[in-house]
Amino acid sequence: MLRIVFSLVILCGMFSCKHKEGEYHSLKEKIVEEGKHYQDPGISSEAYMGDIKTVEITEGVRTFLIPERKSQIKSYACTECHSKSVEQLQKESWEQKDLWEHKAHWDIKVNHANENAMNCATCHNNNDMDNLHSLTGNTIDFNQSYQLCAQCHSAQFEDWKGGAHGKNIGGWAKPRAAMTCVNCHNPHEPQIASKWPARFNTEKVKERK
Amino acid sequence: MGDKKKWFQLDLGLNKKQVVAGSCGCGKTSGGCGSHAPEPPKNEHTISAEEFDTAVEQELMEETMVGQTRKDGFQQVFDVKMDRRTAFRKLTASLLVGAGAVHTSCSVTAGEEAKEKAQIDWEEQFKGNYKLMTQEEKQATVDRLVRSYQLRKKENIKMSATDASKDVLFGYAFNISKCQGYMDCVSACVEENNQDRNSQMQYIRIHEMKDGEGFKFNEADDNYYHEVPAEGHFYMGTQCFHCDNPPCVNVCPVQATWREEDGLVVVDYDWCIGCRYCMAACPYDGRRFNWSKPEVPEDEINKNQHYLGNRLRKKGVMEKCTFCVQRSRAGKDPACVEACPTGARIFGNLLDPDSTIRWVLENKQVFRLKEDLGTEPKFWYFMD
Repeated sequence: MLRIVFSLVILCGMFSCKHKEGEYHSLKEKIVEEGKHYQDPGISSEAYMGDIKTVEITEGVRTFLIPERKSQIKSYACTECHSKSVEQLQKESWEQKDLWEHKAHWDIKVNHANENAMNCATCHNNNDMDNLHSLTGNTIDFNQSYQLCAQCHSAQFEDWKGGAHGKNIGGWAKPRAAMTCVNCHNPHEPQIASKWPARFNTEKVKERK
Repeated sequence: MGDKKKWFQLDLGLNKKQVVAGSCGCGKTSGGCGSHAPEPPKNEHTISAEEFDTAVEQELMEETMVGQTRKDGFQQVFDVKMDRRTAFRKLTASLLVGAGAVHTSCSVTAGEEAKEKAQIDWEEQFKGNYKLMTQEEKQATVDRLVRSYQLRKKENIKMSATDASKDVLFGYAFNISKCQGYMDCVSACVEENNQDRNSQMQYIRIHEMKDGEGFKFNEADDNYYHEVPAEGHFYMGTQCFHCDNPPCVNVCPVQATWREEDGLVVVDYDWCIGCRYCMAACPYDGRRFNWSKPEVPEDEINKNQHYLGNRLRKKGVMEKCTFCVQRSRAGKDPACVEACPTGARIFGNLLDPDSTIRWVLENKQVFRLKEDLGTEPKFWYFMD
């Protein structure tokens, strides 16, 4: 008798399981299981990147594309003007009473951290204006300027590498391309200004009256 | 392909087949119509009223004998036991369209274009559920819609019927510490998806919420107009979350909405009856209804369309975010992701272990809305 009851219980258990074969108990399980035999679906985002020139970078285990920077800087190469040190240039232009020279980079204000941490020379090298330099004096190319930001903003750097910070370019598929720091943040004034929303829904106002 | 049609085809003589005197497509058996049904070749579904009668009877006979095969198209409607009266009653609504088509076809003055329009209308009326169509049938209905638009508006559109790819499951992450409430995503979405301009329909809502009070939707403002980000507030967006266990799909009485293999929850606008059960079932306010005929100025219409996505809708059907199926299946980011200037929106393939969305899920503290409902949204929120 007991045996019959037991087998009934087992049978009920078998039939009451709602999940069909191939279904998962949770989305997480589904992602893990179906991702195990992942094969590239062969979809490419390359066509959607537009005309931007990119450079490939490898940071940690991640390799992706970022926009090339030097060609986007209007007055690059800097040495076309900065043939001498900044002090020398200022002195000369003062002597020649050429006030226009004083006004080069008049639009740049440094509003980035405080004066103890940041001035022009934190990133720019007076002796090598065509490149940037790290806190320890290593040369950093303008195309890899994110390395400069990563010195202080390490948490943002980790997020950016993984894809949680910064804007993706083109599409979700391969190859991965992402904006680099200076594409959104002005390095001299990295704070992003407030603005007005893109739209206002007047119908919604009427509906909710 | 024509041989495999699962719905009636009204042949208006455009297919250049032989003409045999006798019964007419409009159902009249005697004269004066001008349109003649061609002799039905084998498997051809162009049939007259008498042939339909015999077909129904034959179907009823076969019903009892033949084992169930996959039902599709008109079989879904007609392959059930019913008496002739019920069959005709079910046909009445469709006959109105048919009458229009036949009227045009019978008219001596109507041109080739009008006849073609009528033919397309007829075939669109009797097509099956998109979910059950073969790839050829999907392509055929897309071709008809493109041609119909061309005939009516004298403009060309591009419409695709791209299916889900294997090894793709779309997922979305939203960074609530990055969103600044600019609403660029909303604008981009409206333009991309041809949403009705008159009612200002929007799939995305951006909620302005007070810092330190958590998600309080009843106190949040989703229609603000002041400089953003406002002091002491944070912003979060909602839209269709493309649940993996979507309650909206379960309640649809006609299966006009379903979850695709790549996780997108889509609507067949031509199969939807507008009962709005799905709207009531959605716990996230993800669905929108067309109370009036949606209108988009001709020069603002996005002509890159998908059958399940941003093609032009009609009055009385549901619609919603499709993660821009016309873009995402082609490898592009949805319009909202592309438009967001803050990078708060992250989109990708959940099955790809190297994708950015997977990195976010594995390395950030993510959560979903109303997780306890078991709807399994594929839309995660996170903070820096």
